[in-house]
Amino acid sequence: MNAPTPALVAPRPERLRLVGQRRQMLAVMHQRLMFGMLVYAGIVALIALRILWLAAFGDHAGRKFELTTLIPERGDIVDRDGEPLARTIDAWIIAIHPNKVIGDKLDLSRKLAQLMPEHSQEQYFALLRSGKPFFYLRRRASPSLVEAVNALGEPGLAIQREPDRLYPQTSLAAHVLGFTDIDGHGAAGAERAFDSLLSDPRTRGKPIVLSISSRVQQALEAELGDAMRHFSAIGAAGVVMDVHTGEVLAMTSLPDFNPNAPGQGASETHFNRAALGVFELGSTFKPFTLAMAMDSGVVSGPGQIYSCPDVLPVYGHLVHDTHPFGRQCSVAEIMMESSNIGMAQIADQVGTERQKAWLKKMGFLDKVEIELKERGRPLTPGSRWGPFETMTIGFGQGIAVAPLQLAMGYATLFDGGIYHPPTILKVGPDHPLKPGRRVFTADTSYRMRSLLRLVVLKGTGKKADAPGYRIGGKTGTAQKLINGRYSQTINITSFAGVFPMDNPRYVVVVMLDEPKATPETYGFTTAGWNVAPVVSRTVSRIAPMLGVTPDLNREPNMAEVLRFVQDPKQGAKKD
Amino acid sequence: MKGFRSVYMVATCAGAALACYLVSLRVASERASLEDVETQIVLAQRDLRVLQTEIGTRGRLAQLERWNASVLAMSAPSADQFVGSSFELAKLTKPEHQVDFQAPVVLASAPAPERKPPMAEPATDDAGAPTPAATPTQLLHEASLKTETREVPVKPAAIVPQAAGPQLMGKSTDRPAAAAKLVDKKSVDKPGLAAAHPVTKPVRIAKVDPLAPLPAKHSAKPSKDHASGQ
Repeated sequence: MNAPTPALVAPRPERLRLVGQRRQMLAVMHQRLMFGMLVYAGIVALIALRILWLAAFGDHAGRKFELTTLIPERGDIVDRDGEPLARTIDAWIIAIHPNKVIGDKLDLSRKLAQLMPEHSQEQYFALLRSGKPFFYLRRRASPSLVEAVNALGEPGLAIQREPDRLYPQTSLAAHVLGFTDIDGHGAAGAERAFDSLLSDPRTRGKPIVLSISSRVQQALEAELGDAMRHFSAIGAAGVVMDVHTGEVLAMTSLPDFNPNAPGQGASETHFNRAALGVFELGSTFKPFTLAMAMDSGVVSGPGQIYSCPDVLPVYGHLVHDTHPFGRQCSVAEIMMESSNIGMAQIADQVGTERQKAWLKKMGFLDKVEIELKERGRPLTPGSRWGPFETMTIGFGQGIAVAPLQLAMGYATLFDGGIYHPPTILKVGPDHPLKPGRRVFTADTSYRMRSLLRLVVLKGTGKKADAPGYRIGGKTGTAQKLINGRYSQTINITSFAGVFPMDNPRYVVVVMLDEPKATPETYGFTTAGWNVAPVVSRTVSRIAPMLGVTPDLNREPNMAEVLRFVQDPKQGAKKD
Repeated sequence: MKGFRSVYMVATCAGAALACYLVSLRVASERASLEDVETQIVLAQRDLRVLQTEIGTRGRLAQLERWNASVLAMSAPSADQFVGSSFELAKLTKPEHQVDFQAPVVLASAPAPERKPPMAEPATDDAGAPTPAATPTQLLHEASLKTETREVPVKPAAIVPQAAGPQLMGKSTDRPAAAAKLVDKKSVDKPGLAAAHPVTKPVRIAKVDPLAPLPAKHSAKPSKDHASGQ
């Protein structure tokens, strides 16, 4: 009786509501389930698509990225012709894990001492018993040594390859290239200046192209080295620079070092005399003074006359000449015979303020603008810069600049008076030439040509002449400042030359530090006797490589100056 | 039939998927082999680099300079070694030498008859051919100049029998034979040269005209007596 009879009894309203709720819940559950499945299917589809994509276009797991393009551990440095100057190679290293040695340590140390005699057997033994985990025995080992060490068969010995910096040309351009430290970071020269470029994986695949020409560099180093040995000089420096772009084609400082083993030589060989060292370079400064005077309108031309007594008393000092005139002399003669007295008067007329402004414009009062970090700061009289100092600077005393800076000055003077900062990077698409700034007028630049050619043809620089190459230039013999006094016997001799003078293209600056007299110089230690021949020999070697054809029939317009030069035999003045 | 439709669909899909997979597998294997080649290229480049570096290091400029100083002794060219134009270059050649091969036959004939008594046997052959052109004195002079170099073969023939008998018997026996051969050659060559190719190697021609001037000079030195005597 109690059995429910649904057919007879209408469902109660709450039950009806319950049924509605259940259906609703079911629908929600279906929705959620569906959503979950969709998400799941989506993820599976994504993974499947990704796998398909990778299968079709992706890289497989074994792909070696580093090997697909050859990127060295550190970028190459090459010269302007693409000749490698610095490269990273895989070198063998021999190391040892003393804890892993299983053989007889005494026996092993004896064999190691035989193979690598830089340490004794006792030292090797002490090293093996030290308990330290790792030691380098030899870096950059030769293959034969590696083979011999490998034949010892000791598992504690580690023989492996490690990137190592190699300078194939050894000491060539050592000061320009610099060297790397033990961690492979640049410690000097271009290695230091371009360290970030050389070590950045994005840029190191492309070599750094220097403006250095290794053949020119070799010629300069060889000739300068010969002269340095011959005249027993304590040092030498040389620069070859392109007049039009400021590219340094060669820069050397002697004595040099081998960047493959920078620690071996004396530390002073690392000193870059050409860029970091500053020297009073003497009369090689005179052309600048004259150019300032011409540009300022103080000197009208090579025919202007000054009185040139044997001794010139000025501001409480006496100015001397090595070749005193003792008469009236023309500007051309002052240049030709390198007269301090004449040049002092010209500098005096230019005046201190104008001289300072000119030197500033030429970049002689600041560090030289070059990529290298080794740059010398010029020494000037500073606050003592008075009228007498103006005179001495006029003939090159009292101001000390780097030989590189002197080359830069000559390049400015003979590039139509336009200054380009020196650079050790080759000028090209990657390193375009920046517009220069005008320092001297083109006319001054032109008129200086015949004046400097005159010095070589008839003046103090006769030995610098190389037949056919039209070298013009100026000698400079400066007394060295030792303990605050100018030495009468110890000199720094220099020569700044430009060739070919009828259309200047290259500057050569060479300098010898403390050259000694030899029998063939008749006891002289002046620049005309020791550095000028270096220029002659260097130019006759490098000019054909640089595309300068010798021509015995070409000269700058010498008629402009020759008429103002008095023939010493006649003794009569033309003017 | 209708019931199998889904099975066909699945089979088609599976087949398509398999085909796609095979294609991608093929692509992957091709890519892998390509990468192997790339790796080989890179390894070869690395080897090249190492070898180049080694060559560069062994032949570094400082080393070349040392070799030059000790062995080669080459120096920078001087200004007069440069030539500005092709005309200047042409000026450097000496056309005088070329005259030689135009005149040999004529020259040879001229001197021969004058003073050739000792050389008589070979000379007679030559004389026959060249005689017509023998006259001009200039040519005679030039011929005498050349003859100096050619004398050598003639010398033994003339001298050995007369003066140098005791020197070396072994050699002396050989020499006449050689001389005789030369003489034969000359006689054979000359007519050919004169007629067919007047322009042949100048050297040949010079050999051909040993003729008169030579023996005169030669005999003058070693066997003056004979010359004067005859």
